[in-house]
Amino acid sequence: MIESLGDLMDNLSLVVDYTLIRSTIRSSMPIIYAAMACVITQQADILNIGVEGIMLCGAFAAVAVSYFSGSWLLALGASVLVGILLAAFMAVAHIKYKSDIFVAGMGINMFALAITKLLLNKMLNESGSFMSPDIVPMPRIDVPVLASNDVLNSLFNNYSIMEPLGFVLVLVLQYLLYRTIWGLRLRCVGMNPKAAETAGIRVDLRKFEVMIYSGIIGGVAGAYLSLGYSRVFAENMTNGRGFMGVAAMLFGGGDPIKSMLGCFIFGLADSIGARLQTFGFPSQFILMIPYIATASILSLAMYRKLKRERVAMSAVAEPQKE
Amino acid sequence: MNGLLTAALALGIGAAAIALMGQSPVEAYVELLKGAFVGKFNLGGTLEKFVPLLLTALAFAVASKASVFNVGVEGELYLGAMAAAWVALSVKSVPAPIHLILCFGAAVLAGGLWAAIPGALKAHYGVNEVCVTILANYVAIFFTSYLVNYPLSSGLGAPQTTPVPDHLMLSRIMPPSMANSGLFIALAILVGTYWVVHKSTLGYRLRAVGENRHYAEHVGIDAKATMIWAMVASGAFGGIAGAIQVLGVFGCFVDNFSPGLAFDGMLASLIARNDIRLIPILSFFLAALKAGALGMERFTGVPKALVDTVIALFILLASMEGLFKFKMGSRPARRG
Amino acid sequence: MSQSPMEPIVLMKDIVKDFPGVRAVDGGFFDLMPGEAHALIGENGAGKSTLMKILYGVYQPDSGVITVKGETFPHQSPGEAISRGIGMVHQEFMLVQQLTVLENVILGFEPRVGMGKIDFKAAEERISAIMDGYGLKVDLRKKVNDISVGEAQRVEIVKALYRGADVLILDEPTAVLTPQEAEGLFQVIRSLTSLGKSVIFISHKLNEVMEVASRVTVMRQGRHIGTVEKSATSIPELARLMVGRDVFLGVQRSGSAKAGDVALEVRDIYVPSSTEHSKIRGVSFQVRRSEILGIAGVDGNGQSELAEAIAGLRPVERGQVIIDGVQVQNLTPLQVRQAGLAHIPEDRNTRGLNRTMTVKENLAGLAFRKPPISKGLAIVGGALKEFAERLISAFDVRPPLADAPVTGFSGGNAQKIVVAREVDSNPKVLLACQPTRGVDIGSIENIRKELVKVRDRGTAIVLISADLEEILSLSDRIAVMYEGRITGIIDADEADEERLGLLMTGGAVNG
Repeated sequence: MIESLGDLMDNLSLVVDYTLIRSTIRSSMPIIYAAMACVITQQADILNIGVEGIMLCGAFAAVAVSYFSGSWLLALGASVLVGILLAAFMAVAHIKYKSDIFVAGMGINMFALAITKLLLNKMLNESGSFMSPDIVPMPRIDVPVLASNDVLNSLFNNYSIMEPLGFVLVLVLQYLLYRTIWGLRLRCVGMNPKAAETAGIRVDLRKFEVMIYSGIIGGVAGAYLSLGYSRVFAENMTNGRGFMGVAAMLFGGGDPIKSMLGCFIFGLADSIGARLQTFGFPSQFILMIPYIATASILSLAMYRKLKRERVAMSAVAEPQKE
Repeated sequence: MNGLLTAALALGIGAAAIALMGQSPVEAYVELLKGAFVGKFNLGGTLEKFVPLLLTALAFAVASKASVFNVGVEGELYLGAMAAAWVALSVKSVPAPIHLILCFGAAVLAGGLWAAIPGALKAHYGVNEVCVTILANYVAIFFTSYLVNYPLSSGLGAPQTTPVPDHLMLSRIMPPSMANSGLFIALAILVGTYWVVHKSTLGYRLRAVGENRHYAEHVGIDAKATMIWAMVASGAFGGIAGAIQVLGVFGCFVDNFSPGLAFDGMLASLIARNDIRLIPILSFFLAALKAGALGMERFTGVPKALVDTVIALFILLASMEGLFKFKMGSRPARRG
Repeated sequence: MSQSPMEPIVLMKDIVKDFPGVRAVDGGFFDLMPGEAHALIGENGAGKSTLMKILYGVYQPDSGVITVKGETFPHQSPGEAISRGIGMVHQEFMLVQQLTVLENVILGFEPRVGMGKIDFKAAEERISAIMDGYGLKVDLRKKVNDISVGEAQRVEIVKALYRGADVLILDEPTAVLTPQEAEGLFQVIRSLTSLGKSVIFISHKLNEVMEVASRVTVMRQGRHIGTVEKSATSIPELARLMVGRDVFLGVQRSGSAKAGDVALEVRDIYVPSSTEHSKIRGVSFQVRRSEILGIAGVDGNGQSELAEAIAGLRPVERGQVIIDGVQVQNLTPLQVRQAGLAHIPEDRNTRGLNRTMTVKENLAGLAFRKPPISKGLAIVGGALKEFAERLISAFDVRPPLADAPVTGFSGGNAQKIVVAREVDSNPKVLLACQPTRGVDIGSIENIRKELVKVRDRGTAIVLISADLEEILSLSDRIAVMYEGRITGIIDADEADEERLGLLMTGGAVNG
């Protein structure tokens, strides 16, 4: 038990070392997927807070299918399918029937909580959580030559395949959004839908399209959570991680790379917290840290954005060349 | 009309799911109704659940009127409950009525101040309150969990505080159920809220800010202050709901005592489109469903989670305007 | 005139379009010959914009047919309209602020290189060719946020031409231009028609119509009234067709009351804005009691920012705003109102009214805090209704229903509600911003008369308007704003369109 601040300082090196990088990446990864699912719809001006529910359902679908079929690939496919279905429902409700996006999202979240609980009970005959040796997890990449070096092994080896893929996803989205025609048109749909409409772009269709992509990514996020991270499904196992993804996206202003940075902040807080826990801090305070961190960073980002805008709008700053 | 059709659709889907499980939908729904209304214990159960649902729905609605979406009522529920429990247990030798007022006062303060934070962040910096309040829930729940497991624990092994003195408990109105006189507090708040929102100058300001912030500022209303005060009221209502749970139902603060009460309240408010007149109806309806679900589970084998699923479906379907619309003929030009 | 074949390039017949509660177009008819400049005129709310939006595919008609280049169909999408060679420059520009001019022009028609990447070089070449060909010059690299309104309009025209338009629809194009810029636009229109393009020109400014168009179609209350050759008609004739009765169109000076003490003084203020051209850098003026100071200038030169700064809705970074000797800059909007200010905002829909509330609630926006409408915290229903009914009858709001939600009211009547509320507070200073924009002629007369009455009662009025006719007919003195500064203040007697036009483009005058 850490008795004093001095104690903490001495033990700091036990908390903060190179293995922290790896655990940060691991903690951040589900949030990164969630954030990317939000980024893609945000560019079309849709705030997809239903990503939490989509992730949860994806997680369940993955575990269930993996258990029954023994194939993680099929499981992944199932979560993608589930994600698409939920996202499609949200999209139809919001775009065609003018549901408030917030209601549609929270509705999906509530629905996900209830139906995963129901199916956990009825399909897998458990309550609370489900664990079984028959669940096939996602494979890990193990490069023997890296295993020989401690540092390299920690930093680069033994990753679930979804982890490097997550980074690829971020880069791919960044490229698609800002360098391609598809991205330009999508951003216009978000920035000025009337202008897009009069340019002949089918706004509703685009919105629907990105919701589907969001569902796919969200489903994958859920599968990664239950099969790539662990081998278990627990009720409400997402535990707010989808919302963290939303917050990270808002922090990054809808930009993939900046949003990813937001996710790292959460992952770092989570990892440090887990380590502090081993030193006897009450678990509740540790568990709080990521949520407080995310909320603070988000607020700080908005505050700074406001300040920047104020300066740009100012009439007394040096006038730009006209 | 529309609402009934939507409810029918949701219940219909539920019936199909029950059938898939190999149970009889009719039998299940009958047990559901019985579990909600038949017998003092059941009806009382419905009333007991009605109170927090009504208050949390009002909490969400009040903030929504100012266009601020307080998804953090669950957190305010917990903080209010903890504050009430703490005052109940630590303040001594004060006459019961005053002590009770102090407990509720503490709950109002705890919930109100907690909600003011995201309110201020949104009003002054434009921070998305949906995100912050959802995150804040976790913080509040963890915090009260820490308190009840460490400093305020009863020390008896279970994660709860020592029971509050008997004379502080809200009287039971329908034994053997846990329905209590908190019901009257909730109803009073309902009436008061309706009056304030629709018949007072405060309500004009609130609605103006929520419906068109630019207009509100134009006529001289302080939009930022209004938003923050709306959140304070919202948090206060949530806190009161928590206090009633402690002083009327459990008799102490129990770790994790809420199975998402505030989220259900929020859903009731959303279906009612934040209309204060419809909120009690929907809250009662949801309370009945939840109470009935227990009976249904006990006597059929259909898990409670089915009812939750149907409720969520109902929300989704109810939010879809025009789901059941029939095309109306066009009318001739109106000259102005 | 034109050596075109007898077939019209565009023909619209029996068009009907309904919106909830109103029939916007009732038997619309329009025909356009190749290479002609054809004006479509009518009052605000006559259905001209709607008819053209149907042609461009933004709206789908409920019945009727459209024929373009010989091909007939009941309706189309914007994409189809573009592929048939129809382009439209809307009243509110369809530009994405954060993107560059180039990106806006190519949107939807981006030249490709490889797999979905944009070929910026090819785009630049094509666009430059168009700009040179028609005499439209804009800097392609600037963000739309940073260009002037006149430039933005040129971007819209270039955009339409880039997409291959043979028919160009211009919706009230001169509303946002100075008189000189309008001349420039007319040149562009002439060069377009001489190069074989056909132009449809929606307007309610009859002198411009007579200058540019070869044929004129008149609409009233959604119906096609008639199509005439310019040579066979005159301005009074067109006015009569437009309104359905004889209308006096000359500029009537409203006479002046004796001006009193200075009621409003603005001293060297600096006000921020999100567009560069609208930032206010050093504006000063005074307005006396019983005087109307008109502030002329094309939209987007800081007028909105000026009004908002005076009203307390926008910060004043430097300088003072003084009402009756009391400094009010950077006070809350409520405090500024208590100091004696009333404000008719330029956008009645976003600022002036709360569309969800009823007429009586909107009328009470300034009075609800005080007796007799409020007693303590409570709103006294009877007093509220009485108050509303008094204003409704005094300002002739139609239909006279205090409990109706404001959404259904026409532009003119909605504006009367705003004017009623603001004027009833008996202000020392009244800011009237674009008070007759989007309002039918009957209500225009009504509102202008009211402003004069208010002035005669002793109020100092700042009239901000992009309508030069309005400025000239109501003001005692006229100031002109250009790019956030006042380029000149002159007496109304010495002002005319040409002089004001010069000031509106930045030419300074000692006055």
